[in-house]
Amino acid sequence: MFLQSQLSWNVIIPPESLDSNGLALQKAIIIRLMDDFAAKKATKDLGYFLAVTTLDKIGEGKIRERTGDVLFPVEFSCITFKIFKGEVLEGVVHKILKHGVFLRCGPMDKIYLSHQKMPDYRYVPGENPIFISETSKIEKDVTVRFMVIGEQYVEAEADFRAVVGLNGDFLGPV
Amino acid sequence: MQFSNARPHFRLEFRLIRCSQKEMAEKGGKGFSLPKGSLKGKDDNSAKSKQGRKVQIDFEDVSDPLEPNSPKTNGKVNTPISKGDSGKGGKASKAASGGKNSVTKAPSPEFKIEEELPKNVKCLMDCEAAEILQGIQDRMVVISADPSIKIPISFDSGLTYAKRGGTFSNPQSVRKILEPLIKYGVSEGEMCMVANLKVESDDEVFALVPSLKSEEGKLRDPLKTALNELAKIQSSV
Repeated sequence: MFLQSQLSWNVIIPPESLDSNGLALQKAIIIRLMDDFAAKKATKDLGYFLAVTTLDKIGEGKIRERTGDVLFPVEFSCITFKIFKGEVLEGVVHKILKHGVFLRCGPMDKIYLSHQKMPDYRYVPGENPIFISETSKIEKDVTVRFMVIGEQYVEAEADFRAVVGLNGDFLGPV
Repeated sequence: MQFSNARPHFRLEFRLIRCSQKEMAEKGGKGFSLPKGSLKGKDDNSAKSKQGRKVQIDFEDVSDPLEPNSPKTNGKVNTPISKGDSGKGGKASKAASGGKNSVTKAPSPEFKIEEELPKNVKCLMDCEAAEILQGIQDRMVVISADPSIKIPISFDSGLTYAKRGGTFSNPQSVRKILEPLIKYGVSEGEMCMVANLKVESDDEVFALVPSLKSEEGKLRDPLKTALNELAKIQSSV
């Protein structure tokens, strides 16, 4: 699900960017904020960082004694994407294995749908393996509606993983 | 002397006990244990075993050395069942009901986004996110002209996902249509999910969002009305 958050970060501006012209300073703050935002990639609480939408407030700068940098507290709004346990989403199959498939949903591509969570589907091996049931099939590039059973944030990779299932009505290939 | 005379009986007794352990393993028995003194070859047991081949085995409380065996025996029984299912739900619940361990069908995971969200965080519908991200995309030509401005790596995939399958052209109207459902117990997260999935019927909503079933009585009619309004908006796109 997409989330809109209001965050407060500290942005550090080097002394060479400080200018008597306030507009240049504001531009430097925005650029530095977007740089820090892009570098973040994802957090456990908010998910994947997509875009800064508005700059709400720039607080008073504080000089850091040793380096001469100036620290500005900045309040801004942004959009992020995160999946939640129990949520129903749609993803595209990008990898098929004997015991399940991997789906991509937005910025997430490590979404695992086990064959045990695909009732009535059986694996058909071949050059293009598929999972097939009486009424539909799950193959590469098919959009599947699933329910999230569990999700995990891997801090080292700043990435999420999820396990999903099709146990329920109105779930499966769209 | 008594001990040396007892030795053959001790061995016989041991073998018989091992056989009976096997039998018990096949039956998946619980609570099977050797009498505490038997492996140590105490006089009492040897005296009993002297009378022919009859060996008395007391079925007492499970002793510590044997406790590891009991899970094994249970595991053996359940192995064919456990292969079919890693958890508790789905088809395995039917297979497991014949075994000793009754496995109940696991309920669907509940969608409780409000409990997990930090404060100052709001749920957005896909159409709302698409509108905002598309606005940024439209200005990308100007933004990308400055090489010092960096765009997050997830931006493109996020925008593609938000726009998938076509979106409602007027997200404000969608929110206006669905917001009245909040007073019937629908949370903001659930409301966004209903809009995102472009559901066609109220049955579909209750199937996909099981947490709403508790409010089904009073929610069904307003939900039908809202879905009809949404269908009109979508068809006019």
